[in-house]
Amino acid sequence: MAGAVLAEVPALPLHTAGKYVAGAYIVLFVLVLIYVAIMAIRLSRIERDLGELLSELDERQEPTPR
Amino acid sequence: MESPSRRAAGSSEIKHRSPGGAVMYGRGLQALSIATVVAMAVSLSLVFFYAPLEAEQGFLQKIFYLHVPLAIIALCGFVLGGLLAIQHLRTRDPRWDMRSYVVIHMSLIFAVGTLITGSIWAKGSWGHWWVWSEPTLVSFLIIFLLYATYQPLRFAIEDPERQARYASVFAITAGAFVPLNYIAVNLSTAYLHPRVFTSTSNLPGSMALTLLVSTVAMALLFATLCKYELTAKHTRAQLRALRQRLAGDDLDTPVRSRSAAPSLSHVSATPARAAGRPAL
Repeated sequence: MAGAVLAEVPALPLHTAGKYVAGAYIVLFVLVLIYVAIMAIRLSRIERDLGELLSELDERQEPTPR
Repeated sequence: MESPSRRAAGSSEIKHRSPGGAVMYGRGLQALSIATVVAMAVSLSLVFFYAPLEAEQGFLQKIFYLHVPLAIIALCGFVLGGLLAIQHLRTRDPRWDMRSYVVIHMSLIFAVGTLITGSIWAKGSWGHWWVWSEPTLVSFLIIFLLYATYQPLRFAIEDPERQARYASVFAITAGAFVPLNYIAVNLSTAYLHPRVFTSTSNLPGSMALTLLVSTVAMALLFATLCKYELTAKHTRAQLRALRQRLAGDDLDTPVRSRSAAPSLSHVSATPARAAGRPAL
């Protein structure tokens, strides 16, 4: 399927400039990827904090033994 | 220590509204993200399969559709940061400082992308990573270095209100410098040497369309990332406020570690404040 699609699209004249163009677009991809990774770390921290708060609430709601 | 009635009022407030107030930065994020992905896909398709090869540079000129939109959005972001800072100084509402901070922060990341892609283009085109005699490159570097001092400036000021005020003044001054710098460079280069592309009006229709779509896609990416950042910061502020209220701390004097990021917890910490004043 992918091979058929690739056969239909026009060939790109990569030659010597190809590495520079690829490099430039990879830079953008990497920047966005780094940003997403940072956001994922923040999200996991928020998730952990929420979990701590929930367990704290659970502890408060448990009846104290007499 | 909070009174029971106040605590009860606080808990009902948590149920019916967010501790951060009515602002919901996550709203519309999904639609914006989808629009960004679609726009980026269309833009890349146009760049590689629709726009013709440029006569002189050939395939290398494809970097133009990445580098120029990055630069345009970064510069517009710096100016927008200044406009948001004006709004902050006018209203003293910390939400505007937060927005200004996030927009400038994102513009800096886009500026890094601009400098790197520009260097790659220069290497492929001129054989050098950097050309000091090119006023456009050097002026962009000056703007980047100017804004690189924004975060250290914020970090150097401990008092959150003073930090926000000084940062807004900086954002306005630097934001005004961006278009002035652009005009000055254009005026100087007009006297120094003629340019091939002085504006998009010199581009053939298919190239201009591709550049326009690429710029729109980049603007959408910028807006999406800013929204992600604002949502994350807002959520953390809400969590902090919730933790303080659960711990029963003295909410009028929240503990805040030193940070370059705007302070949000002092706004949404107490129900009374959240009710009387918009959060964030």
